[in-house]
Amino acid sequence: MADPNKQKVPTVVRFYRFRNRLKEKTLGLVKGTGGISPEALAAAEIALEQMSEDYPDWVSGLISKMAEQHSRCVDTPENRRDFFEAINLIAHDMKGQGGTFGYPLITDFSESLESFTSIRNDINDRMVELVKAHIDGMRAVIKGRVKGDGGDIGKQLAASLQLAIERYKKG
Amino acid sequence: MANYDFERLSVLIVEDSLFIRSLLINSLRILGVGKVNAVDHGGDAIEFMQKVKSDPMSVGTQEVDVVISNWQMSPVDGMILLRWIRRHKDSPDRFIPFIMITGFSEPKRVQEARDLGVTEFLAKPFTIQAIGEKLISIIERQRQFVHTKDYFGPDRRRRNAPIPFEDRRKLTDKSPGVEVIRG
Repeated sequence: MADPNKQKVPTVVRFYRFRNRLKEKTLGLVKGTGGISPEALAAAEIALEQMSEDYPDWVSGLISKMAEQHSRCVDTPENRRDFFEAINLIAHDMKGQGGTFGYPLITDFSESLESFTSIRNDINDRMVELVKAHIDGMRAVIKGRVKGDGGDIGKQLAASLQLAIERYKKG
Repeated sequence: MANYDFERLSVLIVEDSLFIRSLLINSLRILGVGKVNAVDHGGDAIEFMQKVKSDPMSVGTQEVDVVISNWQMSPVDGMILLRWIRRHKDSPDRFIPFIMITGFSEPKRVQEARDLGVTEFLAKPFTIQAIGEKLISIIERQRQFVHTKDYFGPDRRRRNAPIPFEDRRKLTDKSPGVEVIRG
């Protein structure tokens, strides 16, 4: 019988403990811990590598979109806030993809661009120029297929972008 | 160790980047997932989930076992979707495992999603290995769900480990006000 004292207290927490249906569904009656077949994992890795080959084309499209927003910043400065927002969103998207497809420099550059374009007020010409420097850097990475850290070329590209950022900071 | 058979598994992918979306679809199919559906953003996902409940024939699946969703999407992002799934009366399954894909790594952001009841995070850039690990974690380490006045979601304490400060969780299963539901 339920404890009559307990019933008077309103419920403050409910714990839901369900049997593990997902495990039943994927492992059936097998006992113990399951795993993913190494063959399936390897096959998926190969598929990812194949998709990576299409990545430069895809990302070039995104870079063009950003370049378009950048030209608008130049043409209609009064709407820069909106254009910066659009660039910011694309940069965020690119940040997540670059590393997955072997282009960590794209991730680095877009991360820098994303954080920089989160500014929404008093967007001046120098900031717009800095956007351009990022776009140019990414174009160079893709054009030269600069994978991984990109060796000397990669360092050079990263350094010239860093220079542009420092120039901007010094004003 | 036996391998999982994902043939009966139904996964919903919510991702606005076409490229990443096809990558996820392909990867899950190769891993053997039987049903992979994909939509463009949180709004489409809500519509999809509603149909799973009201008109399963129209979406070709009677259930969704796992949701894998991007965080930042427009117009409806992953957080709004997560809140809907966990709290809305029309949600077909408020307990569904929810994997949030995110480029955000700031602790504040992570905590925000955790407090809305996210199950796992998949950090960008991700690898096939990481996708596999999240699936294993969801299957092998199912957590109890906790419902209080300001939280509904999987237990935010993942491990049964001692904590180095005063335990704020005072109640036990036998305390007044505690209800344990099994199913």
